[in-house]
Amino acid sequence: MDFRVAFPTLVAGRFLLAFAPLPVSLKDDHLLASPLTSYSRLQEGIYLFQNGIDPYSGGSFRHSPLLLSLFSTVVPLTRYTTPLLWTASDAIAAWALVRIWRLRQNVRESQRDGLIAALYLFNPYLFLSSLAFSTSTLENTLQLLSLMFASRGHSSASLLALAFHVQLSLPAILILLPVLLLNLSGPASHLALPRPFPANLRNTLPLLGEFVAYSLVLSCAATLACGNFAWIEKTWGASLLLPDLTPNPGLWWYFFTEMFDHFRPFFLMVFSVHLLMYVVPICIKFQHDLLYASFLLVGIFATFKAYPTLSDPGLFLSMMALFPETFPYFRHPIVTALLHIHASLLLPLFHSLWLTQGTGNANFFYASTLVFGMANGAALLDAIWAGLRIAVGEKKGYEVVQE
Amino acid sequence: MPPAFILKLRERFASKADRNVVRIQRRQVLTALLWKSLPSLTSLLLVVGYLWMLVIPSPRLGQKTYIDENALQPGQVHTYWNWDDVHRADNYLAQLERLRDDNSTSEEIATFITGEFGKLGISASTQRYSFTTTAGAKNGTNSYAVFSSPRASGTEAMVISASWLSRTGDGDGTLNLRGVSTVLSLAAFLKGYSLWAKDLIFVVSDGYLDGMQAWITAYHGAIQSNLQAEPLTLPSGVIWTALNIDYPGHSFSHLGVFFEGLNGRLPNQDLINSFYVVAQHTGGVPLVVYDHLDPREFPGRQDELSIIPTWVPEPVKQNKEVNEYAARMKNVLRHVSYQARGQASGVHGLLHQFRIDAITLFAVPAVGPHGFHSIGRIVESTLRTTNNLLERLHASFFFYLLVGTTTFLKIGSFLPSVILISVSLMFGGLREWVNAGWIWIPEIQQTIGEKDSGEVPSRISGTWSRRSRPVLKALSIMLCTHALGAVLFYAITRPWFVRYQPATSTTLLGLVLALPLGCLSLSAPPATQAAPLPVLLKSLNLCFTSTVLSIISLLNFSLAATLAILLGLPLHLSSSAPRQSLRLTKYAFYQALGFGWLVLGREETRRAIVDWEVLGVWFVPFVCVVYAPLVLQAAIVCILPS
Repeated sequence: MDFRVAFPTLVAGRFLLAFAPLPVSLKDDHLLASPLTSYSRLQEGIYLFQNGIDPYSGGSFRHSPLLLSLFSTVVPLTRYTTPLLWTASDAIAAWALVRIWRLRQNVRESQRDGLIAALYLFNPYLFLSSLAFSTSTLENTLQLLSLMFASRGHSSASLLALAFHVQLSLPAILILLPVLLLNLSGPASHLALPRPFPANLRNTLPLLGEFVAYSLVLSCAATLACGNFAWIEKTWGASLLLPDLTPNPGLWWYFFTEMFDHFRPFFLMVFSVHLLMYVVPICIKFQHDLLYASFLLVGIFATFKAYPTLSDPGLFLSMMALFPETFPYFRHPIVTALLHIHASLLLPLFHSLWLTQGTGNANFFYASTLVFGMANGAALLDAIWAGLRIAVGEKKGYEVVQE
Repeated sequence: MPPAFILKLRERFASKADRNVVRIQRRQVLTALLWKSLPSLTSLLLVVGYLWMLVIPSPRLGQKTYIDENALQPGQVHTYWNWDDVHRADNYLAQLERLRDDNSTSEEIATFITGEFGKLGISASTQRYSFTTTAGAKNGTNSYAVFSSPRASGTEAMVISASWLSRTGDGDGTLNLRGVSTVLSLAAFLKGYSLWAKDLIFVVSDGYLDGMQAWITAYHGAIQSNLQAEPLTLPSGVIWTALNIDYPGHSFSHLGVFFEGLNGRLPNQDLINSFYVVAQHTGGVPLVVYDHLDPREFPGRQDELSIIPTWVPEPVKQNKEVNEYAARMKNVLRHVSYQARGQASGVHGLLHQFRIDAITLFAVPAVGPHGFHSIGRIVESTLRTTNNLLERLHASFFFYLLVGTTTFLKIGSFLPSVILISVSLMFGGLREWVNAGWIWIPEIQQTIGEKDSGEVPSRISGTWSRRSRPVLKALSIMLCTHALGAVLFYAITRPWFVRYQPATSTTLLGLVLALPLGCLSLSAPPATQAAPLPVLLKSLNLCFTSTVLSIISLLNFSLAATLAILLGLPLHLSSSAPRQSLRLTKYAFYQALGFGWLVLGREETRRAIVDWEVLGVWFVPFVCVVYAPLVLQAAIVCILPS
């Protein structure tokens, strides 16, 4: 179908869905909204802010001051604006994804455009989070916009989008390196024909300076909006210090509920540094295709970050559609798919056994998050394997070994 | 210098050849071995799974029950219930019998009971309710009373309830008059003591299950669209435990426990165990599970009470172990019949949905020797036990199989049976998936003359070549079958379906038989480049069934076991065949397995629909949207030309 027809149809479908009568409990679902992205907490923060109470003085509000000022002044959140806004954000993200695809293939239009938009807009992990008004939807949009502008070579726009993204969620800063390099190298696929990084690395320095400048300006704006520096500890600090142990589909919370307090700082450091560890190796190994490197890092952070929701792995899975050349080289796609089916059925089930029915306990839900972690890990392994394997090519009678 | 045998071992394992070559060879050998043994492995898993199910009632499995929560201290108190309380109960009974003989309406009965509570000085009220279902409306009036805790702030509560209709025959009309009089006289009696740390809520619910559903939904402020119920005027705290008293006969010989709740939820085992301890040590009443009297205690009634068929030779029948197996089997089967269908085995089962641990005490009707005196003491002591709780029951098991009054199976000893069958299905599915991805291309050898002689060459040479797996078509067929299931579910929950059931069910069955034949048009002539549709569909069908089985097994073991029995072997065996007649026969068989209940189980279907509408039992939607479509997919695998 023509993209100019398909895309509006898909978006219209999403708008219908957004205004469908949905259970109110959706927006407090632990799988769809973490303490850092929950809509209820955002509303509470705005209420406190508008009534002259510092929302960061308590422990419940952990959104960025930028969101606070945006939604308390320019766009008030009402029963009608919120679904509109969130669906529009998803539509922009889907459009950005399609743009990235076109830029990568270097075509004006292609047959797969509609499919790619549909894979983003109707990915259950993504649209359920969007229906729950989790701010991770906005983060995903910023992520894709930043990658899209970087692919187009619009470095300033790309870095600005990333700076906004970092304001909303600190782990996004780890994607900075591949985005900088992507700005210099372009999005075309070089997976099958690897080459050394084409541009001079020194050129990243001005870009880095630009990013720092944007971030400083935005941080100043945030401080002005908030009136003090409390927001830094409450928003960015939360990703590092894990103050709120509300269950989520990630791998951190259970570990830290079980831990003796005197080990906490050490393991917080280990878990955070562990995230840091991936950035440089992935960028070196995939220096020929930095879009792929960014895609892999998105997947890694979705699996291992402190407060993930379903929408983080959702973005990774939808981005997979950008790289059809790797599909034949996936290592075990059926196993990955089955793991994801198991996980997505087990997560809500064990969640309700523990917190609704009361017959299960925290270990049940933790077990299902482990299955989910395995599913995401398997998808990552598939992608990394395929991305490297494709360069070796196919030759009858030969086997590939890893030294 | 290491010893010689170590050198030999080194020689054996660390060959001189290239490490990578050795690794690839090793991998290939392993893969070949796995591939060759996969069919026998799947069959083995299937057989072991089924055998495990048969072994579950074995006397060699299972362990003794025990009280896990130390706060409970069952049977440690002196009871005060005495003959004057029995006399009061007899008086209440006489008045209730008069109401029954006058054919009083439920409104009048509720007013009477509320009045009696009021005379005792306990605040009481009534609640009118009405359910609208496809089978018509259900009205009634509940009465309830709240005795506030003299000791604490009333943040927690215990419920003592009796329904107007007994659970005998699943509410066939037998009245629970003695149960109701027990509740009334208990209210009078328990009020006299100041040791209660929790509010006592006395509920006399109308009808069998409907009354309690209306009451408990209103108590928790939950909204049910087809229920109109008056809000409750007397508030109380969070209900932790509930005892429901069912005493339909004149007297009783044994006390039984019913514990299955809606949608397969079970109460914490500590509650059942405490009751058994109390009943045995305080009440001195013999105990049973459900109303299953032990045939070994009644030598004259063996044929009636035992599930061992009469044709079994006498020496086997007398065997101790066989008798124990049969007794346990009877309990397990009863449990499965409730849990698999998501039915509550008594009024207590409705409370589970709000996280209340509840059981029904069933007084097995007999001419004697026990009566109000025993049941009063037992309930008093059990309430004193649950009164001790400092937190919700959580210590003991929520997933168990109670095979005898004091014997149970932990989840680890029954769950593997279903999981093994599920794994077998998964391996079968993955095998089909690999099959779908490869094709054997024989090398064409132009051997003239050999064709006529009819001799088949002993070894055909050829190569395995990869082919694509177009999953989209198979996935859309699966999606369509589930959508068809959803449409079927929508249809059978309409009023017209129930009203004209014989005609509508036959029509629906006809539609369900005919519609999937549309898939035949989808099946393009098999290209060598792509996997045939039936193989792919079977692969995905098996994988998905396995997923459903293993996930349901934890939620509702009985349902998973029933599914494993119904789906395990049949789905393995589904395949396309060259002959059209054989394909049609297979198709008909699978359709009968998947949708036969539409015509054959009319009564059961109607009941299950009412259960869904009134109590929210998920059995009907599950069968329509998950089970039947899975079988339908196997049927489509069979009808598609290979």
